[in-house]
This record gives sequence, C-alpha cells and structure tokens, in this order.
Amino acid sequence: MEINISQQGALQVVAISGEVDLSTSPKVREALLSCIKGAHGVVVDLSAVSYIDSSGVASLVEAFQTAKTKGLGFALAEVSETPMRVLKLARLDQVFVIYPRVDEAVAAMA
Amino acid sequence: MTDQTDPNPPTVIEVRDLVTHYGTRQILNGVDVDIVEGEIMVIMGGSGSGKSTFLRHLMALQRPTSGTIKILGQDVWRLPQKKLFELRKKLGVTFQGGALFSSMTVGENIMLPLYEHTKLDRMTMEIMARMKLEVVDLAGFEDLMPSELSGGMIKRAAVARAVIMDPRILFFDEPSAGLDPVVSSQLDDLILRLRDAMGMTICVVTHELESAFKIADRITVLDRGNILFVGTVQELHDHPSERIQNLLNRRSEEAEIDADEYLRRLTGDKEEAEGMPR
Amino acid sequence: MAEGSNQSVAYRFFDKIGRMSTSALEEMGRHGVMIAESLYWLIIGPRMNQPVRLGAVFSEMMEIGVRAIGIIGIMAAAIGAMLAIQGIYSLKIFGAEGHVVVGVAFSMVREFAPLITGILVAGRSGSALSARLGTMKINQELDALEVMGINPVRFLVVPSLLASLIMVPVLTFMSMVLGLYAAALYVNAALGMSLAAFFDQTVDVLSVDDLTHGLGKAAIFGILIALIGVLNGFLVKGGAEGVGKATTRSVVQCISAIVVTDMLFALVATF
Repeated sequence: MEINISQQGALQVVAISGEVDLSTSPKVREALLSCIKGAHGVVVDLSAVSYIDSSGVASLVEAFQTAKTKGLGFALAEVSETPMRVLKLARLDQVFVIYPRVDEAVAAMA
Repeated sequence: MTDQTDPNPPTVIEVRDLVTHYGTRQILNGVDVDIVEGEIMVIMGGSGSGKSTFLRHLMALQRPTSGTIKILGQDVWRLPQKKLFELRKKLGVTFQGGALFSSMTVGENIMLPLYEHTKLDRMTMEIMARMKLEVVDLAGFEDLMPSELSGGMIKRAAVARAVIMDPRILFFDEPSAGLDPVVSSQLDDLILRLRDAMGMTICVVTHELESAFKIADRITVLDRGNILFVGTVQELHDHPSERIQNLLNRRSEEAEIDADEYLRRLTGDKEEAEGMPR
Repeated sequence: MAEGSNQSVAYRFFDKIGRMSTSALEEMGRHGVMIAESLYWLIIGPRMNQPVRLGAVFSEMMEIGVRAIGIIGIMAAAIGAMLAIQGIYSLKIFGAEGHVVVGVAFSMVREFAPLITGILVAGRSGSALSARLGTMKINQELDALEVMGINPVRFLVVPSLLASLIMVPVLTFMSMVLGLYAAALYVNAALGMSLAAFFDQTVDVLSVDDLTHGLGKAAIFGILIALIGVLNGFLVKGGAEGVGKATTRSVVQCISAIVVTDMLFALVATF
C-alpha cells in the first residue's frame, strides 16, 4: 500500500494505491487526518486501490466527518469497482461526495 | 480479492475422505467436498445426517476420526496453533443461536475480534462496528445487551460480529432456525448481499429447502453420513434419484422393517440393538 | 452384561467403586491439565498474540474479591467473637481466662480465617464461575471464542484463576484482622483486657510461620475454587439443567476440597 500526497491549488490530493486492510489502514487514517489539518480541502484518489476493507472505509468515514465539522471539503475520486461495492454495502455511496475523476473533483471544489 | 467472473475460481475449502465415529456410531463415512471462492455452498440434510458435525469439522472445532480438511490451502488439523489462530481471522461464523456474549453489549460483541487481533484506533473500531450494524439493519443498537434483542436481531448482530474482520469465508449454522419466514428470508437476502459486495465464500448448513434454493450456488446433500448429491439447484431438481425426489417433496422414507430388530428396539433390549451407545 | 442379574452384590459393589475411583482420577487429571494449560497461556500467550488481559484480571478480582468483602467481614467477625466466647467459657474451668488470646490468635490465623473465606468464596464465586462458563458452553459462546481465534482458557480461565489466587489470601488476611478485632472487643467487655494488651499478646504468640500457614492455605483454596468452578462449567452437558447440576456440584466439590486440603495441610504443617 502506498500513499502519495500532492498539492493542487488550495486542495490536497491523497492518492492511495494497493491494498488497504487491517494492517495498512492506520497509515491511511493518519495521512488523511493530518491532511485535513493543513488544507482547505481533500480529494482522495482511489483509482489504484485494488482492495479496501472496512477498516479502510472506517478511516475514510472518520476523515470525512472531521473535515465536515471543520467546514472543509472532502471528496472521493475515481472509486474503482471493488471499493465501490464495499461502500455500497453500507450505503456509504450515498454519503460520500464522489467524483468520477480527480480533476473534476479539484475543479468542483476549488 | 479475485474477480468473481473468474471462470475457474480457486478452491478455498477442500475436504477429503472425512470419517467420524462417535463410539460405534458412524456419523460421516468418507465425505469429499470442494468449495470454491465466491460461491454459496449449502450443506443440506435431515437431523442425524451428520451435517452439524461436518460443520464443526470445517470450523476446526472438532477433530474428525480421519480425513483431511484444507482451508485456504492449509490443512487445519496439521497446523501449528499460531497458524491456526491466523487462519481463524479469515473465517467468520454465525452460530445457530447467535452465541453473542451475554455479558457484553452488542457493540462490544462486534468489536471483540478487533480488540483482540488488531491495533486499530478505538474510533476506527467503533466506526467499523457501526458500519456492520448498518449492513445488518441494526443501526443504533450498539449499546443494548443481547438479552434486549429478539431472536432475529441476535442473529443479525451475530452476522455483524462474524464479518467484522472482513473474513474470506463465512459459515452459517442453521440461519433460519427459530426465525419466522419473513425474518428468515431477510437473513437470506443479507447472505446474498454479503457475497455480492465482499466476494466472500459462504458455507451454509441448513435443513430449510426454501432458504437453500434461494441462496445456494451449489448444494451438497448429506444423508446418514454420506454425500447423496453435489450440484446446482437446477441439477438437484432434475435429479432422477427417488431418494432425492422424496427429500425434495418432504416425503419421509419408509424404511424397511426388520421385525426382530424392531421388536428388540421397542422392548428396550439395549445390548442387542445395534449401534446404541452404552 | 446379559448375565447382569446373576452378578453378585459384591461384584457390583466393587465394580461401582472401581468406576468411581477411575472417574475421580480422571477428574484430578483434568485439573492438572487445566493448571498446565493456564500456565502455558500465561507464559506463551503473549508470544502468540494471545495475551492475558490485565483488565479482565481486575474485573474478576472485583467480582471474586471486592464484592465479597462485606459478607466475609461479617462472618469473620462472628467467628472471632465466637472463638473468644467459647475460649473464655472453657478456660474458666481452669481459672485461666487470661490465656484466651493464645487460643483465639492461633485458631483464627491458622484455621478459621482461611476456612471461612474459602468456603464463602466457593459459595459465591466457584458456583458463579461454573454457571457462567456452563451457560457460555451451551450457548456456543465458547465455540464462538474459539472460532474467533481467542483461546477460551486464556480469555476466561486464566483471569479467574489469577484473581482467585490473589483475592482469597487478601480476603483471608482481612478475615484474620477482623476476627481478631471482634474477639478483642468481646474479651475487653468480658475480662476488661484493653485492646492494646490483646493485640500485644497476639503479636507475641504469633510467628511469621503462623501467618504464612494461613495465607498459604488460602492461596491453595483460591486455586482450588477457580479450577473446580471452571472445570465443572466446561464439562456442562445438556442445557439449563446441566448448568444447575454443575453449579451444585462445583459448590459441593469446592467445599469438600477445601476442608480436606485444610486437614492435610494442618497434618503436614504441625508434624
């Protein structure tokens, strides 16, 4: 699992790749929460995530809630099929702000 | 996670020549079963068919007399303890009565495996538990005690606990037992949803035909310790064997009566009655 | 066994005795295995990611020990006073009432404090352990632990065993103090001996040996109570009725084991 953080204007784009599971999700959580502290908004690029388990989704949920309480933007982008199924199971696809592409998310949130 | 459209999905549970006796009674006489990734396999049979014992073997709770069981490629009865613990994290089980710990709240029950096996943040664990409760339609029930729930709710909470670690394989022991048809059918829907969303392999032991036909990709029929049939629901319906058609039509079989043996049984001459435990 | 009716009474008698002794031996073996298994998980557990949780030990200590303080305190005080009353009554015959302190101190510290504590803990916690584990067994909760990759001995047995091993001696010490205090109050009222004089004499006659004798016994009682409670719970069969039977069995066995051990201990220690 790898996390790449890049700055796009006022937004931070967090690109996660590989498998997010019980052993790697704490790192995702940490990265997301620290990004929220220092940015105007966060876009999480999930295009390269091959597998995400519920601890990973839980980290996304926590980050989303934290961003919301601070009045920051938080969106998911390019959610591939496997993560999407996991989100749908808990009906989280209706909760998260999801964009089909990263640049769309950046444009919409800027 | 492998794609479900894989034409030859790998075998995740491989059972070979499984034999079990209780004293002189034969419970299983050489059972072979393969369960492949992503399928829902229903093990059916009447009471005394050996299906419950079979499930206990699969969950590595009870050692068979002989035979091998490989789960995810590992021979469960030849595994060192530490490896068995690791393997068990990839298995989830919903017991017949739910088996929630009565001294803990629903939320604590669901989080227990996380507590014991992971170093996740408390917040993450709580969110995960609540997510699973959402999935089983028990949102907001995390602070109740199991004794405050109905039978169907207990079972759904037990499912939430079974899937908390996102297991690869999920076992159900008699999911519809003690539930009314409506609740039971909701549970069947839940089983299907879990398979579709998480790509889990699911093994269900039941004697409910209706539920079996609804959820099964394949069905294994056990009868008196032998495998009578393995195949899809359609194949089961089309099967020519009279024994199976009787089973499907819920006709109990007229066993041939051995007059002498029957008389002895009725008069309680235990020593002579064959196979009776002392 | 078809010729069963022809067997002599003596044969059946000895047959029964034989069966009973083998099952008693088997049971003792099980206790041994349970101790060994508990030690194993206590020591090896952390290395297999199966550590014994301190929190569980504390909550068990609360249940076995702290919640029993009231009743054990009252009982110990009653026994202490009773010893003083009986002591003065019998010593009066020799005109030696002043020596009552010796008798009370020895019997309270060496015998009665561990015994009454052990019996009360057995009645409260030995039975509760059996009932709890028995219910967990028939509800498949033990199986559930197992399939979650949580060893039941590590998760349930070791905390109870440790808590009992720690709390029974602690409660016993409390019983000693309270029993002696109650005795001192009575002696003060009956003979006019001051509390200070009573405790001075007590400290004089008692040696460290007497204290370790009492507390050592208490530790053994603690282990016995937990083991018997746990094993009867694990061996429950056949639903709610089985749980009831196991609970009764566990109390009877605990108290018998305590009394017999007490006798053996006294025999060996005073030899």
